[in-house]
Amino acid sequence: MLLSTLLLVPLLGCLALLLWPGSPRPQRLRVITIVILGLQLLVSLLTLANFDPQQAGFQLVEQHPWLPGVGLEYSLGVDGISLPLVLINSALTLVAAVITRDIDRRPRIYFAMLLLISGAVNGAFLACNLLLFFLFYELELIPLWLLISVWGGVNRSYAATKFLIFTAISGMLILGAFLGLAVLTGSSDFTLTPVLSDRLEIGGQLLLLGALLIGFGIKIPLVPLHNWLPDAHTQASTPVSVLLAGVLLKLGTYGLLRFGLGLFPEAWARLAPALAIWAAISVLYGSLAAIAQTDMKRMVAYSSVGHMGYVLLAAAAATPVSLLGAVFQMVSHGLISALLFLLVGIVYRKTGTRDLEILRGLLNPEKGLPLTGSLMIVAVMASAGLPGMAGFISEFLVFRGSLNAFPLATLLSMVGSGLTAVYFLLLVNRAFFGRLAITAPTGDQMIDARLDVRLAPVAPRETVPALALVAGVLGLGLLPAGLGRLSEMATTALAFSGRGLG
Amino acid sequence: MNLASDLPLTLQTVWLIPLYGFSGMLLSLPWATGWIKRNGPRPAAYLNLLVTLFAVLHGSLAIREVYAIGPQLFTIHWFQAADLNLSIGFDLSLVNLAALELVTTMSLVCQVFSLGYLDKEWSLARFYALVGFFEGAMSGVVLSSNLFISYFLLEMLTLSTYLLVGFWYAQPLVVTAARDAFLTKRVGDVLLLMGVVALSAMAGSMEFNDLYAWAGTAREQHLITPLVDTLLGLGLIAGPMGKCAQFPMHLWLDEAMEGPNPASILRNSVVVTCGAIVLMKLMPIVALSPLATTVLLGVGCVSAIGGALVALAQVDLKRAFSYSTTSYMGLVFIAIALQMPGIALLFLFAHGLARALQFMSVGSIIATTNCQDLTELGGLGSRMPATALAFLVGGAGLLGLLPLGCFWCYGLMVSNLLAIAPGYAVVFLLTNLLTAVNVTRVFRSVFLGSPMPKTRRAPEVIFWMALPMVSLAVMVLLLPWIMRLIDPVPGIGAFPLSVTLVLVGSGSAGVLIGCLLPQDRFWSRSSRPALRILQDLLANDFYTQSIYRATIVQPVRSIAVATRWFDLHVVKGVVDGIGRLSLATAEGLKLSVSGQLQSYVLTLLAGIFLLLGLLQWLRTGS
Repeated sequence: MLLSTLLLVPLLGCLALLLWPGSPRPQRLRVITIVILGLQLLVSLLTLANFDPQQAGFQLVEQHPWLPGVGLEYSLGVDGISLPLVLINSALTLVAAVITRDIDRRPRIYFAMLLLISGAVNGAFLACNLLLFFLFYELELIPLWLLISVWGGVNRSYAATKFLIFTAISGMLILGAFLGLAVLTGSSDFTLTPVLSDRLEIGGQLLLLGALLIGFGIKIPLVPLHNWLPDAHTQASTPVSVLLAGVLLKLGTYGLLRFGLGLFPEAWARLAPALAIWAAISVLYGSLAAIAQTDMKRMVAYSSVGHMGYVLLAAAAATPVSLLGAVFQMVSHGLISALLFLLVGIVYRKTGTRDLEILRGLLNPEKGLPLTGSLMIVAVMASAGLPGMAGFISEFLVFRGSLNAFPLATLLSMVGSGLTAVYFLLLVNRAFFGRLAITAPTGDQMIDARLDVRLAPVAPRETVPALALVAGVLGLGLLPAGLGRLSEMATTALAFSGRGLG
Repeated sequence: MNLASDLPLTLQTVWLIPLYGFSGMLLSLPWATGWIKRNGPRPAAYLNLLVTLFAVLHGSLAIREVYAIGPQLFTIHWFQAADLNLSIGFDLSLVNLAALELVTTMSLVCQVFSLGYLDKEWSLARFYALVGFFEGAMSGVVLSSNLFISYFLLEMLTLSTYLLVGFWYAQPLVVTAARDAFLTKRVGDVLLLMGVVALSAMAGSMEFNDLYAWAGTAREQHLITPLVDTLLGLGLIAGPMGKCAQFPMHLWLDEAMEGPNPASILRNSVVVTCGAIVLMKLMPIVALSPLATTVLLGVGCVSAIGGALVALAQVDLKRAFSYSTTSYMGLVFIAIALQMPGIALLFLFAHGLARALQFMSVGSIIATTNCQDLTELGGLGSRMPATALAFLVGGAGLLGLLPLGCFWCYGLMVSNLLAIAPGYAVVFLLTNLLTAVNVTRVFRSVFLGSPMPKTRRAPEVIFWMALPMVSLAVMVLLLPWIMRLIDPVPGIGAFPLSVTLVLVGSGSAGVLIGCLLPQDRFWSRSSRPALRILQDLLANDFYTQSIYRATIVQPVRSIAVATRWFDLHVVKGVVDGIGRLSLATAEGLKLSVSGQLQSYVLTLLAGIFLLLGLLQWLRTGS
C-alpha cells in the first residue's frame, strides 16, 4: 500500500487543489502544495525505511489486474535503482514548489500540474508493467507542456511545441517497442520480467531495442536528439527547469537501464560498443557546445546533455561498478543540475539577464549576490567533478566501471569531464569575478567606472532550498556508502542478468 | 579501522590531523559569511591559529610515538562496491610525519604572518577559512597511503589554490590568474585521473604498497603492453607536473602571484612539495615506462634551467622567485626520476623552508612599500635590517654556497650524479649558478643602492610579521642540524671535497656575476638586438602564454564555436526544416482531400496491413 500512497498523495493532492473551494490566493495554494509535497517526501522516506537493500528484486510489490485482455496490470514495485530516483523526485518537486513565486496567471492550475508531474513520475519509476510505465510516461508529458507553454518565457510556444513533438515521438517509439515485443513473442504479458531474449530472435531484439534507444535517447537527451532541451530550458521558468533537469531527464536513463538493458541483454551486448561511442560523442558534443554559449541557462542545459552521456556510457559497459555509477550519476546530476538552474534563476531574477557578456562581479559582498556566488562556485565545482562532492564519486564509478570494457570511449568522456571545468569556470569567472556590472560595457572607462548597481538581497525561500541542495551534494560526495548500499544489489543483479548468472 | 587499540592515543586519533585544518575552515565560516559582524573578523584568525597549533602538536607527538614503535598503517573503509574498495588510508612513517610537520608548521608560521600582512583586509575570515582548507588537504596528501585519497586531496588543493588566487576577485588580473591556475592544474588532474582510474581497473587495489607489488609483477610477467604502460606513466606524471608548475604547465604559478602573499608563501614552499611527494610515491609505477621516465627527466631539466633563466629577466619581485620555485622543483623531479627519493625529500625540506623565508621577506617588502616592482625599490637594507637579513638567510639557504640546507642536498646530488650521469650534475650546477645570479641581482636592486621614492621612508615590519620571519630564519639556519637528525646514514655530508669545491665555485661564480651585472634602474630593453631578443624571450617566459593561446585555447574555442554553429544550423535546422516541411505538405495535402470517408478508411487499412505484414515477416522471416 505504501507505493500506492506515493501515487495517491500527489494525484489526490492535485485533484484537491483543483477542487479547492473559493478562490484562494497564490500564496495559500503554494503552502497547500508544499504541505502535500512534504507529505510525499515523508512517504518516500517511509518507503526507504521499509526497503531492504539486501534483496535484489522488486520489493513492496502491489499487483492488481486492470485490463487483463490487453495485458495492462496495476503492478508497482521498488528496487535499488528506482528508489533513489523516487527520493530525488520527491525532494526536487518540493524544491520546485518552494522556489515558485510570482505566478500571476492561473496559480491553481500551475500547482496542480506540479503535483500531477510528481505523481506521474513516481508512477513511471514504480511501474512493474510495461504498459503502466508507458501510461505514466505519457501522463507526465501534458502538464510539463502546459508548464512551459503557459508560464514560460517570450518564445515559449515554440519551445513547448518542440518539446511536445519530440517527447510524443519518444512515447510512440517506446509504445511501439512494447507492443512489438508482445507481437513478436506472441504473448500479451507486459509484466516486467528480466529475460525475454530466449523467446526472441536477435534481429527482432535489435529492432525493438533500437526503437527504445531512440525513444529514450530523445528523453535523456542524447546528441543529436537533444535539440528540444536547450529551448525548453531557456523558455521554462526556474522551478520547471529544476524539475525538467533534475527529474524528468532521469526517466530516459531509467528507461534505458530498466527496459533497454533489462529486457534485451543480448541485443544490448551487441550494440554496446556503438552505444559507448555514442555516449562519448554526446559527452564531448554537449561540453563543446556549452563552451560557446553566452546564455547561462543554455550553458547549463548543454552541460546536462554532456553529463547524461556518462549514464549511457555506464549502461553500455554494464559492469556492476559502472551501473552503480549510473545510479550515482543520475542522483548527483539531479541534485547538481537542480542547484545550477536554481542559482541561475536567482541571478536572472535579480539582474534581469543571463548574458555572460554583460554580467560581471556578482560576488560583490555588499551590492552583489555573495551567497549565490559562493553556492554557484560549489555547484560548478561539483559539476566539474571535484572530489568531496557528488559529481566526483559518480564519475569515478562510471569511468572505473567502463574503462576495461571501452577504454577509448571512457577516456574521451573523461576529456569531457575536463571540458566541464572549462565552461563552468568561464561562467564563474565572467559573471561572478571582476567589478560588479549588469549592463553591457560602453567602452568608455569613465562611464563604466561610474556604473553603480545594488542588487536586492535574495529571499530565504530561494537560499534555503539552495543550501539544502548543497548539503545533499556534499553529503553524497563525502558519504557515498549509503547510496551504494541501497543500490548495489539491484545494479549487480542487472549487470549479471544478461550473462545468465542472475 | 584496523588499528590495534593498544596503540597510543595520539596514533589512534591521527585521522584528526587533516581534520584540524578543515575544522578551521568551518570555524571561520560564521565570520567569512558575515553572520557574525561584531568585533571584526579576527576571532576567525585566532581560531584557525589554535587548531593549526593543535595539528602541529599532535603531529610532533605522533612522531615521537612512531619513533618508538615504528611505522603504522591506518585505514578507514570509505566506499565499497563489487570489486572496488576505496578507503581512507594514512601511512604513519617518519618521513610522512616529518613532511606533515613541515606542512603544519609552515601553515602556522604563515597564518601568524598573515595577521600582520592582511591587517586591514576586510575579508580576513575568508582568507583564514581558505588557508584552513588548504592546510587540511595538504596534511592529508602527505600522510595518505593510497592513490585514491592522494588524488582526492590533490584536487582539493587545486580548488583551494583557485580560491586563494582568486581571493581579490574584483581585480581583472586576478580573474585571469585564477582561471589559468585552475585550468592548468585541472588538465594535469584529469590526466592523473585517467591514470588513477586505469590503475584501479588494472591493479584492483589503490594502496601504494599493493600498487608497487602489482608493478613488480606486471614488469616480470609483461601484464601490460608497452603502449598502455607509457600512457599510464605519462598520465601519472601529468598531475604532479601541474602541481609543481613544471614546464610546460608552469604558467599558473607566476600568474598566481596576484593572490595574497601569505598564500604565495604556502604555494611556493609546501604545495609544490605535496605535488613532488605524490610523484615520489608514484615513481615505482611510472618507472614501468622508460619513456615516461625520460619525459620526467626532460621536463625536470628544462624546468630547472628554463625556470632559472626566466627568473633572471623578471622585474616583479614575486615572479622573480616563483620561477625559481619551478626551477628547483625541476631539480627535485630529476632526483625522483633517477630513483633517489631520499635526497629528493631532503631537497624538498630544505627548499620548502628557505623558499618560505624568501617569500616572507618579499611579503614584508610589499607590505611596507606597497610595491613589488624591482625598478621602484632600492636602499631598503638600512631601513629594514631584519627583512634584509631574512632575505639573505633565505637566499643562502637555497644556494649551494654556504653550508645551509640546500648546500648539502646539492652536494649529495652532484656527487651521486657524477658517477651515473654527469650531464645532470651539470644541470644542477648551472641551476645553482643561475639562482645565485638571481638572488644577488634582486638583493642588490632592493636592498642596496640609493633609496627610491617608495622606499625612502619605509619602516621595518610590524611584530606579527617580524616574529614568524625571524623564527623561520632561525629554523633555516638550524636546518643542517635537523637534517642530520632525520637522515643519519650515510650522513648529509657524504660527498668528496672536490664536489664541495665545484659547488662552492658555481655558487660564488653566480654571486660574482650577479654583483657585476650592470644595474639598470629602469631595466630598459637593451639596445643590442641580440640581447634584446633574449631579454624579451625570457621576460615573456618563452612566450608560453601566446603559444598556449595559439595551440590550445584558440583551437578549443574554434571547435566549440563550430559545434555551436553546427547545433544551431544543422541539428536545429533539420528539426525546424522537418517541422516546416510537414506544415507545407499539410497545406498541399489539404487540397487533395475529397472528404469522402472511403478514402480515409482505405488509407488506414493499407497502413495497418503494411505494419502487420512487416511484423509477421520479422517474426517468421529472420
